[in-house]
Amino acid sequence: MRDLRWIAGMAMVVCLAATPLRAGDGAVSMENWYRLILELVRHTPTYSPPVAARAFAYTGIIAHEAQVGGPGPGVTLAGQLHELTAPPARDPAATYDEGVVVNAAMTAAVRTYFSNTGPTGQRAMDAMEKALAGQMAEGVDPAVLARSLAYGEAVAAHVIAWSATDGGAVVENLGFPYEYELTPGPAHWVPTSTVAVQQFPLLPDWGKTRTFAMPEATTCRLPPPPEYSEDPGSQFYKEAKEVYDTVRSLTPEQAAIARFWSDDPMLSSTPPGHWIFVAATELKLEGADAPRWALVMARLGIAVADSFIGCWHDKYEYDLVRPVTYIQRVIDPKWQPILITPPFPEYPSGHSTQSGAAAVVLATDFGADHAFIDTTHGDEGMDPRPFASFEEAAQNAGISRLYGGIHFRSAIELGLEQGRCIGAFAAALRMSE
Amino acid sequence: MRPLVLAAALLAPAAAHADTPPVPVFADETAASGLTHTFAGEWTFMVGGGAAVFDCSGDLMPEVFLAGGTAPAQLFLNRSTPGGALAFAPAPDRGLDIDAVSGAWPLDVDGDGITDLALLRVGPDRLMRGLGDCRFRDASAEWGFDGLDFWSTAFAATWLPGGDWPVLAVGTYIDRMQEAFPWGNCTPNQLYYPAPGGGYQAPVALTPGFCALSILFTDWNRSGAVSLRVSNDREYYKGGQEQLWHVPADGGAPALYTEAEGWSRLRIWGMGIAQADVTGDGFPDYYLTSMADNKFQVLADPGAEGGPKPRYADQAFKRGITAHRPHAGSDLRPSTAWHAEFSDVNLDGLVDLFVVKGNVWDMPDFAQQDPNNLLLQGADGVFTEGSVAAGVASFAQGRGGAAVDLNADGMPDLIAVNRNAPSEVWRNTGGPGIGNWLSLRLSMPAGNRDAIGAIVELRPEGGVLQTREIVVGGGHGGGHLGWQGFGLGAAAAAEVRVIWPGGAAGPWQGLTAGRHWLLTPGAAPAEVSP
Repeated sequence: MRDLRWIAGMAMVVCLAATPLRAGDGAVSMENWYRLILELVRHTPTYSPPVAARAFAYTGIIAHEAQVGGPGPGVTLAGQLHELTAPPARDPAATYDEGVVVNAAMTAAVRTYFSNTGPTGQRAMDAMEKALAGQMAEGVDPAVLARSLAYGEAVAAHVIAWSATDGGAVVENLGFPYEYELTPGPAHWVPTSTVAVQQFPLLPDWGKTRTFAMPEATTCRLPPPPEYSEDPGSQFYKEAKEVYDTVRSLTPEQAAIARFWSDDPMLSSTPPGHWIFVAATELKLEGADAPRWALVMARLGIAVADSFIGCWHDKYEYDLVRPVTYIQRVIDPKWQPILITPPFPEYPSGHSTQSGAAAVVLATDFGADHAFIDTTHGDEGMDPRPFASFEEAAQNAGISRLYGGIHFRSAIELGLEQGRCIGAFAAALRMSE
Repeated sequence: MRPLVLAAALLAPAAAHADTPPVPVFADETAASGLTHTFAGEWTFMVGGGAAVFDCSGDLMPEVFLAGGTAPAQLFLNRSTPGGALAFAPAPDRGLDIDAVSGAWPLDVDGDGITDLALLRVGPDRLMRGLGDCRFRDASAEWGFDGLDFWSTAFAATWLPGGDWPVLAVGTYIDRMQEAFPWGNCTPNQLYYPAPGGGYQAPVALTPGFCALSILFTDWNRSGAVSLRVSNDREYYKGGQEQLWHVPADGGAPALYTEAEGWSRLRIWGMGIAQADVTGDGFPDYYLTSMADNKFQVLADPGAEGGPKPRYADQAFKRGITAHRPHAGSDLRPSTAWHAEFSDVNLDGLVDLFVVKGNVWDMPDFAQQDPNNLLLQGADGVFTEGSVAAGVASFAQGRGGAAVDLNADGMPDLIAVNRNAPSEVWRNTGGPGIGNWLSLRLSMPAGNRDAIGAIVELRPEGGVLQTREIVVGGGHGGGHLGWQGFGLGAAAAAEVRVIWPGGAAGPWQGLTAGRHWLLTPGAAPAEVSP
């Protein structure tokens, strides 16, 4: 069964590369736009994981809201997400083309949330817009076409205006502050590389961003990490020693797991993009229609975006030192992790938090025992990995950070817990009749 | 205890200077010199834009050939007077007014003693044979050179042992037919081996290609054998990284260095390679331009038992040459660096670093006002920014460049090729504290006429040893051939030794400063006057 699903998963990649554009099929619009935005995230430096998650959330919300009131069962998120008011209503007496509506909304969303991309990305967006707009308009009555375009764009504009006030709309200097005061003391984060722009930590105020479904950034706040200590008998030392010993005796399988979930910004579609890819694969496999695509992508986007807000709040509250810093100072000055240590505080693990949340919402939409084959990094030459459930995958993502030498166990296990807590709010959203 | 404020660390080098290197004063002579040129173009010319600098008139003052992009490339004859103001005359009738040129490197392909040009294009590349008197003819077909139809972006050449013709390496970029999804569509680089009796065999594809923007044949471990260093743009590859290829001396199949051999993975927006032995350990170090932080790679363990492995430590931060954001102006977004070149612009005996910068093209994450860098090395090995004081901090959208003596006065002048804006040239007028100089040209009787691959060792009286490998390649979009300038500081003379291609070491020879010297194997140095 798994083998067959893997073949289907790989076929999806090929299929997306040459998806035949069928007039009026909003699902085709969504498939293709999502394929493109995963590339734009990979190739645009703005998209650190929190920023990418935010862009995924709003894009999914726009796609969902544009289809509410159409023939699908969608229920608006207005009133359910913080400060989101009702989008423009459809004219109940008028006819709309759903493919045109969702494509117009997606086009506006991508143009807004992925506008920081460079000339090649802009060129690709132009090409995608031209191809999809032409195909979606094929055979559509001109009046219906105009009305549908206007409606999709109006819904997008409504959500875009709402998003502008969340505190995360402007990202400067790739997310690194120009000035910052490091917290003194050995327990706290210090730069872990000699990359000049990373001498200050990434997005220290991201925890102040407005949440989507989670009530507050602190709603799923974690307890403090183990108390900092250099005493070999302390819990902190033991966790550091575990990272040290694990990396020194890493098995090939553990190394492969670490690299599979590495999801480095600017070298991949980032951790939230990893889950978006998984969701896209499963939607394609089931032949989902456009409303289903939008529901899944909106809920998943909300879950991972809220995760980064909650996680980032705690990261900067506790401001914990990274394993590489502690281990080189206390245990072995020559030790190196196998992954690039991210340039921000350690606790909790962001990938763990957002993976925990992603697993919750994907289980909601696909089933708790939904097995899948993860082919996210096939084009990077990595083998696909099968999982019996999204939760199993989330745990795999979490422990990968220990194998990679960039997180202590507490950050992983509690990060997953935090994600489950945050994801529950997105899972509870009422999005369809 | 007050929290540590590190804001200054963003703009300052990592270590304090023991002293301040002298800053040479440059005069912007772009308009006055007649160097009127623009590298023009949109998507397919967002990269490239190189300068090839070489002396085809025999007066020690090199000509300048500039890629044109969508406009024809231009050759400028050097009409400067020795030590005087720069003067150039466009020469549109010399066979080089060719379109779609992204870069150019001078070299003597056929060993006839006349410099030829390799032209990289968006489209078939060309080899232009020098005919003398700065005239050229397309010899691609005559030499069996199949220029293929790629978006070519990088070039290097070397002579394998016993070879009369060079091996050519062409780096290529994106499959330009992939409009919506260009990512992951890097085209293979190409290696051209000489054919028996001259000319070229069909090219060998170097796969995988990862969208190269600079390549360089380099004797990285001073073994006498060259390898091919490739700097790749991570914007477009998938599963890629920087590369180092074994290039077998017998013409066998090239193979990538592996992790088992010590190669460690690095993924950057690789755009240019500059090579010099900055550390003084006898091995070449590499400055790799990128976006935001640039890298400066030095061998991690040069004294390793059994010889060094190709594992590098990044010392850019330590030496103050990350050059990661504009050092002047109000635009604080990260920088985009292209051509880089080590050159001792203040002639103090320590190589400095010229970096040409400019936004790719409306990339909002990166600075639009991004001045070039002129990083001056101090005695402690830390560099300080000197381009504003020197007068070369251009904010144009830079791409290629050159640091080369254009008027035979021994002081390196600077060229920057800008995209959709006029190219610029600055004359080095010296200034307080500028040192003495010495200029060398290596010459061999046949084949590898310009002694590509030779190692020059130069020791000024009372100064530190300088080591330089003579190369064709690296940079961004172009390079220069011929006279090699060295700074001597206060020394009035220097001892020089050449390890010629093939490994034969010449004798140490004393040379007087302030002169041009022609060095030939087995012969006494000959002074040449402009």
